[in-house]
Amino acid sequence: MTEPTTSSVVDLPELETIRRQIFLALFIALAVALHTLEALLPSPVLGLRLGFANILALTALFLYGARAAWIVILARIFIGSLLLGNLFSPGFLLSLSGGLVAMSMMGGAKTLFGRFVSPIGVSVLGAVGHIAGQLLVAWLVLVRHGGLWSLFPVFVIFAIATGLVNGWATVLLLDTLKKHPLFSSKGGNGALPPEV
Amino acid sequence: MAVTGLFSRMTFLDRIIVLTLLVGAGYAFHVAAQKKDGSRVVVEQQGKVVFSAPINGDREEIFSGPVGETLVVIHNREVYIGRSDCPRKICMGMGHIHRSGDVIACVPNQILIRIAGEEKGDDRAYDILSR
Repeated sequence: MTEPTTSSVVDLPELETIRRQIFLALFIALAVALHTLEALLPSPVLGLRLGFANILALTALFLYGARAAWIVILARIFIGSLLLGNLFSPGFLLSLSGGLVAMSMMGGAKTLFGRFVSPIGVSVLGAVGHIAGQLLVAWLVLVRHGGLWSLFPVFVIFAIATGLVNGWATVLLLDTLKKHPLFSSKGGNGALPPEV
Repeated sequence: MAVTGLFSRMTFLDRIIVLTLLVGAGYAFHVAAQKKDGSRVVVEQQGKVVFSAPINGDREEIFSGPVGETLVVIHNREVYIGRSDCPRKICMGMGHIHRSGDVIACVPNQILIRIAGEEKGDDRAYDILSR
C-alpha cells in the first residue's frame, strides 16, 4: 500500500471504472461461492434454495446500478452451473428463468421506486420473482399442468422469509461497506446510496 | 433485536410490498382450503395419464422415469411419494395430498401426481354414501 488509494480528489474516471470492475468481479466470485455452497447443503424441507447469492446481486444493484446487478446474476448462474456440472440441464433452466424474472423485478422496483424502497423490499420482490420465474418455466417446459400453481402460495411464503433475511443481510453488508473510504467517498446515507 | 432492527430499516413501501404478498398468499391458502377432498389419484408422465386409481384403496405403485424409480403410495385416503431416485427429493418433501386439485410433481423424473374430484352430482351422492 504505497499509493494513496482512497483520495477521491485525485481519482481519475478510469481509476474509478477499474475499481468498480474489480469489485464487480469480487462480487461475482462471492456469489458463485455462495451458489456452490448452497448446492452442497442438504436442501430444506421443500428443496427450496435460500438464495444467499442474491445478496451480492442486491449489493451490486444498490452500489452500482441495475446493469452491474445483471452482470452479477448472469455470471453467477453460468459460472455456478458450470462448476456444479448442470449447465443447460433442467435445473440450470430453472435457475436461469428464476434469475431473469427476479432481476427484472428487482431492477424494475429500484428504477420505479428509487429511494422509497430499501434492499429489503427489493430482496423480497426478487425472491418472489425468482420462484415465479421457476414455476413458470417448470410449467411451460417440464410439467404442463395447471395444478402446479397450487404450490405457488407455499413457495411465496418461503420466498418472503428468505427475501427478508437476504435483504437484511444486504443492508448490513452495505452499512459495513459504506464505512470503508472506497465506498463512502460518494456520500449517501448508508442504505440508499446515489446511483452511479 | 435483529427483528426490530430489520423492521426499522424497512421503508413504508417495503412493508406494503411484504404485506401485499402475505395477504395474497394467505388468500390463496384460504381458497385452497375450500377445495373438496378428491376421489381419484391420477399419475401423468410427459402429459399422458399412465395410472388412475380410487384414493380410498391402499396401494403402492412404482413408476420409472429418466432418473430412476419413484414409489407412489396411496394410504389412508392420502397420496405421497414413498421413495424416489431423483437427486433433491423435492417430491418427497411435498408431503401428503388428498384434496381435489392437489399435486405432487417430481420434475427430474417427469412424474405428476394429481387428485381428481368427481362431477358435482357425483360428489354429493358420494358424500351421502360416506356418511
